[in-house]
Amino acid sequence: MKKVIEVKNLSKYYKELKAIDDLSFDVYKGEILGLLGPNGSGKSTTINCLLSLLNYQNGSIKIFGKEMKPDSYDLKRKIGVIFQEVAVFEELTVYENIDYFCGLYIKDKNMRKKYVEEVINLVEIKEFKKFYPKQLSGGLLRRLNIACGIAHKPELIFLDEPTVAVDPQSRNNILSGIKKLRDNGATIIYTTHYMEEAEILCDRIIILDKGKILAQGTSDELKKLANIEEKITVEVKDLSDKVLEDIKNIDEVDSVVLSQNLLVITYRKGKNNLENLIDYLKKNKVTYSKIFSERPTLNDVFLELTGKELRD
Amino acid sequence: MFWHNFKYSIKTLARNKMLLFWTFAFPIILGTLFSMAFSGVENGEKLDIINIAIVESEYFNDDEIFNETFKNLSDENNESRLFNITYTDLDNSKQMLEDEKIVGYLEFKENDVDITVKSSGVNETILKLVVDEVISQKKMIETLITKEIENTISSGNFNVDYDQIYNNVINVIASSEANLNNISSDNLSYIMIEFYTLIAMAALYGGVISMFITNYKLANMSAVGKRTSITPIHKGSMLLGSLLASYFVQLIGMGLLFLYTIFVLNVDYGSNLLLVILLALVGSLAGLALGVFVATIFKTNENTKMGILIAFTMLCSFLSGMMGITMKYVVDKNIPILNIINPASMITDGFYSLYYYDTLDRFYFNLISLIIFSALMIFISYSGLRRQKYDSI
Repeated sequence: MKKVIEVKNLSKYYKELKAIDDLSFDVYKGEILGLLGPNGSGKSTTINCLLSLLNYQNGSIKIFGKEMKPDSYDLKRKIGVIFQEVAVFEELTVYENIDYFCGLYIKDKNMRKKYVEEVINLVEIKEFKKFYPKQLSGGLLRRLNIACGIAHKPELIFLDEPTVAVDPQSRNNILSGIKKLRDNGATIIYTTHYMEEAEILCDRIIILDKGKILAQGTSDELKKLANIEEKITVEVKDLSDKVLEDIKNIDEVDSVVLSQNLLVITYRKGKNNLENLIDYLKKNKVTYSKIFSERPTLNDVFLELTGKELRD
Repeated sequence: MFWHNFKYSIKTLARNKMLLFWTFAFPIILGTLFSMAFSGVENGEKLDIINIAIVESEYFNDDEIFNETFKNLSDENNESRLFNITYTDLDNSKQMLEDEKIVGYLEFKENDVDITVKSSGVNETILKLVVDEVISQKKMIETLITKEIENTISSGNFNVDYDQIYNNVINVIASSEANLNNISSDNLSYIMIEFYTLIAMAALYGGVISMFITNYKLANMSAVGKRTSITPIHKGSMLLGSLLASYFVQLIGMGLLFLYTIFVLNVDYGSNLLLVILLALVGSLAGLALGVFVATIFKTNENTKMGILIAFTMLCSFLSGMMGITMKYVVDKNIPILNIINPASMITDGFYSLYYYDTLDRFYFNLISLIIFSALMIFISYSGLRRQKYDSI
């Protein structure tokens, strides 16, 4: 596959602090690459270095086969960026904001008008065209923010935590919009600290912590690193110490945590763990109101790799 | 692309209520307040006779030009009489000043005149301006005499008639339009000084507009700046469009201020209106350049930059004598370089020079100084901007 971005041995320091530590990765045409990590892991710094907004001490960055520099205007023309902060003019309407940013890339007025209308339809804010940003809800504002970044139909799109502080409906709308962009041929780099988003959206994921790559691969490949088969959660009323001890002693069980009424059992292996557990609970007359099984998540991977939760 | 940016910059500025207030409304409100507060003073004003003292000394007695000028300006038969002069010694002058019997006294030294006043105000300002003017005329006379002598000698006549030359020169000066009595004419009254102060302040307020729009172009200052920094537009071109838009908006504000003061407040800018407008336009450019300079050079947040800009503008205004012209005199006397590099001083000095000097040399000197100041600020800002990378976003 054709490489759109090549990053080699990228390092960025703030005095003593290593914000990015020897990062190397590639991004391929037409994929959504997720940069997943907790706050302060170096995701945004990486994006800012890639965009040549920040200096870096070591390494090289190539975009579309060319070195990325502040004056790489031919490269910038192909790039769209949606930052974490909403970057729009308070004094301009929704339409004017999109038209302004699109106009910095597209000279032809008719083409620009067409592009602006298209992106307004894509992010579904047609009825708010004449609204000012302060008249929009948080979700609509995010959609406007995205529209401003992609109206010029870029080939490469950077999305830096675009769903922070967004309601679920708007989040779904944004995520489906991003998939559409990928389906239309764009290559996307998506940073997030929401593992669910990374799982749903990304073709490949890089997990970052303290400026280093901990792991990279597809969601399934990464989950294998978690070293667990499944997690079963049971909502119980009363649980004797003996039952708890029995469950802990099952060979396949990795850990058992009882917190208030929730019993979470992590299995390292085993194929019929849920069925066996239900049998055991019946046999020992343990009453429960809910029981469900989960496959390992990226949070488990992160926990396995770093010993802490992704959202710590 | 340039016009696209220019058009939207104008829209952005024109819809920002805070900027509109400070640029358009505030100077007009202030002008109205000045007019209301001082109209009574203005109507009843034919300047009062100002009590001053001159310290008797051989230097004063030997200085014919000063002697004659002050004799004339204190002549009871002179309709434009300005001063009531007490000739006395230094101690008595000090005591009279302390007792507020005089607004100030002059002490003549070998090649200098010291003005001592107790406070700042219109009368003190006039005293200072008269002394400045006489010094200026003295220099002119000396230059003319030197030239006359040179001409006489170069024509082969070595019997120089100094009295004749002196009289010729005095006649030239007497027939020139410049006349110290202009000071007591109704062109530059206290209220006019206030209006010129207002125009200078409004001009320097252009810095607020340019700083606002420049912040929108800097990645480390705003999210919009970050977004514009990754567009395929050259920083200089982007900034130029925005700054021209700022200047355009500033000029509209300045135009409204002139129209309002002329047609509503009936302010008479005299025969120098076009020059006053010209200086206001160039002063606005200096204000704009100052705003860009503060926005691009200082690596701090927007509020701090605003604080720096306002504080600097106020300091410049203070030193230029906007809150009392005595300060301008003190600076002139002790640190003259400050008034040469101070944009507020260049503006006010330019305005006053239209009234107090018989040629436009000083006016053009201030005008050119403002242009150089603006160019320098913009050059430094642009150089800084070109090198700028954002160490922390």
